[in-house]
Amino acid sequence: MKLRFLREGLILVALAALPAIGEGIYFRDKVSWQSSIPASELVIVDQARSWGDGALWVDARPDDDFAKDHVPGAFSLNEDRWNELLPQFLPNWSPDKKVIVYCSAESCNAARDVAKRLRDEAQLKDVFVLQGGWEEWVKKNR
Amino acid sequence: MKFVWRIVDVVVGGVFVYAGALKVLDPIQFGLDIDNYKSLPWFVSVRLAFYFPWLEILCGLAVIFHVRYRGGLSILSALTLIFIGATIAAKTRGLDITCGCFGHASQKWSFPQHMALDLAILIGLVALWFATRLRRATL
Repeated sequence: MKLRFLREGLILVALAALPAIGEGIYFRDKVSWQSSIPASELVIVDQARSWGDGALWVDARPDDDFAKDHVPGAFSLNEDRWNELLPQFLPNWSPDKKVIVYCSAESCNAARDVAKRLRDEAQLKDVFVLQGGWEEWVKKNR
Repeated sequence: MKFVWRIVDVVVGGVFVYAGALKVLDPIQFGLDIDNYKSLPWFVSVRLAFYFPWLEILCGLAVIFHVRYRGGLSILSALTLIFIGATIAAKTRGLDITCGCFGHASQKWSFPQHMALDLAILIGLVALWFATRLRRATL
């Protein structure tokens, strides 16, 4: 009797798995299961550099980090000042250009979030996240 | 008095049903929200993002309709405690997180707002626990 809440809890835990699995099957092709950024939205430093003038670099790090150093020609566009910085960035974009967003390192999420907002809110196409971020860029450019 | 506790049941359960339903509609965004806590690898976060909302809905319904009531109450209490712990841990690590607990609606909430709501829910759940014990004792 005392363990009734446990038994009931276990039943609920098991029952919740059923619709969750169903939804997972429904979304199986829409979600990236291994990485929060799908492989098709990632770009490595060498490939990004090969795009040359056909690419626009977006620095999603905080203002202080951008002020210290950044990829040459990159635009600062972080979520803290999104409304202020987006209008400054957009006139430089054209449909034939690819956009490469980066943040500090592999572990940061800012680039992913900014890239998502550029796609969803600004309706930009060909928006990529730089794999390894600024850390990787520095490593490759030493 | 019984009527008052039924209202608390419906309000607390309803909050979880509502929160779960919002997340069911956009599990990928919820996965990103969990990922922002930087406590779990992505492959775990994304699976939890599909599972947790349904667990919330089911337990919320259990509390509202008094079916597997104590089980639902225990799980919702555990989820709330885990969430409060994760939010405090993220804050102390200096992470600027969006909890995603109520989908996009909660993305602009500040840390005190998150905590105030979580504590209010926790108080409601604890009150329901006591009410259950009280009811059992009087039977």
